[in-house]
Amino acid sequence: MPASALFAATLETSINKLLALDSDSKSRLSALDGSRMTAFLSPIPFGITLVFSDKVDVLIEHGDFEEVKSQLGAKDCCIKTSLDTLPALKETSQLTRLIQQKALYLEGELNVAQQVSSLFKDLDIDVEEIIALRTNDVFAHQSMKTVKAFHEKSMSMFANMGDVFGNAIVEEKKLAAHKLAVMHFSDEVSALRDSTERLDARLRDLEERLK
Amino acid sequence: MSDNKTSSASDVHSSSKHSLSEEHVLENDVEQTAEQATDQKTHFGFKQVEKEKKATLVANVFDSVAAKYDVMNDLMSMGVHRLWKRFTIDCSGVRAGNKVLDIAGGTGDLTAKFSRLVGPTGRVTLADINLSMLQVGRDKLRDRGLVSNIDYVQADAEALPFPDNHFDVVTMAFGLRNVTEKQNALNSIYRVLKPGGRLLVLEFSKPTSEQLSKLYDMYSFHLLPKMGQLVANDAESYQYLAESIRMHPDQDTLKGMFEEAGFEQCDYQNLTGGIVALHRGYKF
Repeated sequence: MPASALFAATLETSINKLLALDSDSKSRLSALDGSRMTAFLSPIPFGITLVFSDKVDVLIEHGDFEEVKSQLGAKDCCIKTSLDTLPALKETSQLTRLIQQKALYLEGELNVAQQVSSLFKDLDIDVEEIIALRTNDVFAHQSMKTVKAFHEKSMSMFANMGDVFGNAIVEEKKLAAHKLAVMHFSDEVSALRDSTERLDARLRDLEERLK
Repeated sequence: MSDNKTSSASDVHSSSKHSLSEEHVLENDVEQTAEQATDQKTHFGFKQVEKEKKATLVANVFDSVAAKYDVMNDLMSMGVHRLWKRFTIDCSGVRAGNKVLDIAGGTGDLTAKFSRLVGPTGRVTLADINLSMLQVGRDKLRDRGLVSNIDYVQADAEALPFPDNHFDVVTMAFGLRNVTEKQNALNSIYRVLKPGGRLLVLEFSKPTSEQLSKLYDMYSFHLLPKMGQLVANDAESYQYLAESIRMHPDQDTLKGMFEEAGFEQCDYQNLTGGIVALHRGYKF
């Protein structure tokens, strides 16, 4: 069974279900009608092509970046980057820096990439409304309230646990250094580095004089 | 006396020679008739039938299963047929504005996707020899709102009613094994493909592992007809399906047939251990 096809099918279903939950996504999707974007995201071993019409079709690209680049149409775009770099693409101001650092390769219509980014970034899904449609308002409201309370409680619990573990490791068990001690150590290392650099400069100067 | 003897011996010899040559002619006639009979016959599952009758018999099978075709496909393959078809589309390289021919397109699974991929500037032709299948496909696609760029043509794959060098991509999913003269179909497809175009044939094939082959045999000859009986109330059609798969050429034979038709850069990819294979060939 082609695993890549299963991956594409899952991705396609998820994307279209998500977009269907936000009625405003229709207008953003129609702006992309007829365009396609291919993304090569290492370490994923194949490219993923999103083809936009009244829905999003996901295709698997078995060729490489150069091959896709040579076949780009007027409304096509192709990017090559890594999964780690993906969150940085949210900030359009980062694009030039990433391209210069060769962390991002972008070919074709930049507008398409930006529109795809806003298609997903601007998703506004009212989960309470969706639950209410399938059950009723009271149940939906209570469910959301419970989930939110649970989320807040678990977050504060994790934060407390972090503090407790931190104190236990640093203060009681002495398994890790205190934050101040680490800062002091870093300062000392910096001072030592400066001294070494000064010594190195003096030695070079002496060498020059002896020549 | 001796002359007589000689003459009678010669007569005997000549008469035996005569009867031998007659026998030989007779044997040749019988062989030729047998060959002609074999030439005029083809397989329909494991049965041998007259070539002219195969199309009708296949048509009867598909008339019978058309209504439950999609349900049965999902059930028989446990949904994996969708992944095989998706893989075929991934390999098609279809772009906006392309002309695509989906032969034996049945209920339009490939056509639906191609229709969106080629966009309003492209065109997809769904061709099937069977009217029932074509009608089910047309209704399904119309219900999904896919109407603007799809043509429906009832056509025989062996004699495609399209101009030469017309399509960018031709696909045939699970249809070739039902064609009476497969080589004629491949030749016909070659004719209608544009230079630079590609043909993709997705078809059942030979499993690559012995264990899988045994399991697959058990499944298709014992379970499949029972499922057909239960769901579609038609065990025979699904018995034919299992038999026709076994009679279909294996991966390398089909690749050879592609090459014989004139296709270049032919290759195939086994899917699900060779239960299905995707053959690909280009016309240059």
